[in-house]
Amino acid sequence: MNLAAIQRLLALSLLAFAAVEARAASVAEVIDTTQPKMVKIYGAGGFNRLEAYQSGFLISAEGHIATAWSYVLDTDYITVTLNDGRRFEAKLLGADPRLELAVLKIEATELPFFDLNAAATADSGTRVLAFSNLFGVATGDEPASVQHGVVAVKTQLDARRGVFETPYRGSVYVLDAMTNNPGAAGGALINQRGELVAMLGKELRSAQNNIWLNYALPIEELRGSVSQILEGKFRPTDEQPKLKPDEAIDLAALGLVLVPDVLERTPPYVDLVRGGSAAAMAGLRPDDLIVFVGENLVHSCQGFRDELAHIERNSPLKLVLMRGQELVEVEVPAAEGDRP
Amino acid sequence: MSRPYYESWIAPLLFVLALCSLTTQVRAADQPLAELEEQAIKAAVERVAPSVVRIETVGGLERVGELLVGTGPTTGLVVDSEGYIISSAFNFAQKPDSILVTLPSGKRQAAQLVSTDRSRLLVLLKVEADEPLTPAEPAPQSEVRVGQWAIAVGRTFEAERPNASVGIISAKDRIWSKSLQTDAKISPNNYGGPLVDIRGRVLGVLVPMSPQETEEVAGVEWYDSGIGFAVPLETVLRNLPRMKEGKDLYTGLLGVSFKASDLNAKVAEIAVAAPTGPAFKAGFRKGDRIVEVAGQAVERHAQLKHAMGPLYAGENVRVVALRGDERIDREVTLAEKIDPYVTPFLGILPMRPVGKAEEADAKGIAIRYVYPDSPAAKAGLQAGDRVQSIAGTKVTTPALLREQLQPLTPGESVAIEALRGDQTLLVNAELTTLPESVPGELPPAYDSAALAVAEVAKPATGLVPIKLPEFENACQALVPDDFRADVPHGLVIWLHAPGGSKDEELVALWKPLCEKYDFILLAPKSADATRWQPTELGFVRRAADAVAKTYSIDPTRIAVHGHQAGATMAYLFGVTNIDLVRAVAAVDAPLPRLSQLPQPDPVNRQAFYTTLATKSEQSAAVEAGIERLRALKYPVVVQEVGEQARYLTAEELDGLMRWLDSLDRI
Repeated sequence: MNLAAIQRLLALSLLAFAAVEARAASVAEVIDTTQPKMVKIYGAGGFNRLEAYQSGFLISAEGHIATAWSYVLDTDYITVTLNDGRRFEAKLLGADPRLELAVLKIEATELPFFDLNAAATADSGTRVLAFSNLFGVATGDEPASVQHGVVAVKTQLDARRGVFETPYRGSVYVLDAMTNNPGAAGGALINQRGELVAMLGKELRSAQNNIWLNYALPIEELRGSVSQILEGKFRPTDEQPKLKPDEAIDLAALGLVLVPDVLERTPPYVDLVRGGSAAAMAGLRPDDLIVFVGENLVHSCQGFRDELAHIERNSPLKLVLMRGQELVEVEVPAAEGDRP
Repeated sequence: MSRPYYESWIAPLLFVLALCSLTTQVRAADQPLAELEEQAIKAAVERVAPSVVRIETVGGLERVGELLVGTGPTTGLVVDSEGYIISSAFNFAQKPDSILVTLPSGKRQAAQLVSTDRSRLLVLLKVEADEPLTPAEPAPQSEVRVGQWAIAVGRTFEAERPNASVGIISAKDRIWSKSLQTDAKISPNNYGGPLVDIRGRVLGVLVPMSPQETEEVAGVEWYDSGIGFAVPLETVLRNLPRMKEGKDLYTGLLGVSFKASDLNAKVAEIAVAAPTGPAFKAGFRKGDRIVEVAGQAVERHAQLKHAMGPLYAGENVRVVALRGDERIDREVTLAEKIDPYVTPFLGILPMRPVGKAEEADAKGIAIRYVYPDSPAAKAGLQAGDRVQSIAGTKVTTPALLREQLQPLTPGESVAIEALRGDQTLLVNAELTTLPESVPGELPPAYDSAALAVAEVAKPATGLVPIKLPEFENACQALVPDDFRADVPHGLVIWLHAPGGSKDEELVALWKPLCEKYDFILLAPKSADATRWQPTELGFVRRAADAVAKTYSIDPTRIAVHGHQAGATMAYLFGVTNIDLVRAVAAVDAPLPRLSQLPQPDPVNRQAFYTTLATKSEQSAAVEAGIERLRALKYPVVVQEVGEQARYLTAEELDGLMRWLDSLDRI
């Protein structure tokens, strides 16, 4: 390496160190400006390993707070502790159970807050900081705990039926930090510029691979409901999203018989196709393995029946079959008649 | 390495700066470093993304061991343009019926499992793709530095977008030099996917691993903990041709074991070179000291494990060992598995020499007893014959005869030269396995003439207290009154059932048996009379050592015998003291659930005796234990005691002692 190169390297590394310093300062600054917007929320619970606390953040100078809708708020006595240690009784303004979102109000003014309209978006690889009172570590005027990580991916929680037990059916940021712990729900996720990105969700375990998921709800998913609650226009719907049709397709209607379901995960092989049936018209054959119903992978005979239970009887059905080593896509026409 | 830590950061930083100036046309210093890093991370994920595919499986087991296996999508990494995809074996532990790979175009394609690497826990899949595939670019291993950025990439949440987790390289050469370690979050969400550097080059393939366990589900409990592992892609690519041929790869085994279990201990002499293993076949023997493996000097155990870790079965490796001053330098072809050692059985009991056991008897080894229907009986040998040589080698003591037979396997034929009076017999015996029954009445083990001659000093006999000041436990030894130092006795370590044992009863029951069979009974007591604690194993060992120091003990006839909880202790004591205990006799207790039972050892032979009640609550567990021992090729004598569990009758106990008396069988 010649002298010039060494000098160049030296200059670059000095620059790099300057930048490292700058980053440290900026992360610290971002944290300093975020902490006053965080609150600790106390309410119902404290038994059966249900914590009586959770996290929240201020969304107006007049004491509006966004947090997660949970049993903790299911009481007349909700208290909120600000970052400076001041304690307030809080009022539940409204909640949107479908988003697991609640808005609280405390009687205070001139508070620092996150402007929901200025919230940012993120994608895979975006560096984030998560603020919450996980495990109730902080009390009084102790600031919230801060964790760092990146957004692993933005995905839909409802992409696969039955995988996650939550009423929420929207997009989430999956995080690579261990953020979703007891008491963390309702915490704030910000990017490294200090812009609000999402609200931390509850503890959730995937039924698919049995591992815990750390996720946060994007602000753009929450914004509408929050402003409706603030304007007093929000009408909570008791109506649960309709999960199953009144009359679903079943194997008999299709004219399909599967192999006997004897194993824990019997692969859904076709045993018999009744002549003239919808399945026969679609070209299904014995020994076909059904692998997809629409976009959903089925693992077993039971899984196939479960998928059919979600499909209206009078609608066509898209199947992907494995025939030998060939993947074959077929459309089964709507089964007619045969109605009770 | 004394490299300053910041150097590992310089390369990525330079890259970040370069990237910035190239792509955004903004001067580096104007933009906060953290943002530049974020851009670089995203660019790295982007770069590897075309090589990261989503895998879905249909069917298969619901559980592997105790782990509930997921059904969610997993990740694979394209390793060449012909459609070969590498993934983590964890993703296929449930043995799925069908495998589907989503190609970059979004098209799903059925995949075949080509082969499995059981050492590094990877699988190779093949898809017939009708679109171009982008193989991952490996990062040179020589450039990898601890502390550098490491980004874990999976494709499990979204088919269109990969998911990423960011961390650093935590360590190199982990899991016996098989993998890199990272603090990025590794879980079923990215097992099978790549760990990439800040440039998007692949450092390794993410797999769950554990330094102790070797199953494909080992190490899963560390998911998302900041402890994750990745097998270097360079290694994967090097082994790719073999895997493409459909050959499963296995950890390469030498077939030797060592006494020390401490990984930091100096590599001691080979304690066991399994006759079925490649090291033995290459000429290495018990007592040789390994000093070099695969060109790496080996001083400590951990170094040996590191040198051996990356090697596969079927590979040749140079092993250098010292035998005294002799340097033994051999090429060894590593084995996939070592068949359990089965002790060969000739079918005789030797007469026991009076005086020092090592003293060679020039007249050969006198036969005390020939087992009916045994190889010796079939060859025509009789009690009173003297074995002179075996397979052409002269043998003068029972120990030498045992040593000569040791490397042979049942089914092999061996030539024996014996003397009957003055007549020389030349016979062939086809060796078999050790009997699993109690022998009938046995003739005396000593030449009465030899016994009459000697007169030696007698140590204390009767019920003798064994004092071990450092333990609170009481302990006694029952020494036959006719004990003499020139007649080595067997040793029965008796571990009482909960409730303890009374001295008078102990003496009444055992005194005649000890006298009849030349045994000393050692009766340690649990500190708490109602139960044994596993921590008391050390005390039992010390007590046994103390007895062996005072009295002459025949090392081939040391047994541990227990009842109920004492029997559980007996099993534990036996398998943890294989250098001492030759037999475990358990009454009314199953083999405890030990995670690992030692393999049968050619030198430290062990045999088992257990009772079996047909209708006791423990029957199934006892049977399972018997099966487990027999699967490992241990000889097991099963004494049936009827429907309900109970201790042995006088007759059965006499049978047990007869069996213990025959432990020096050859």
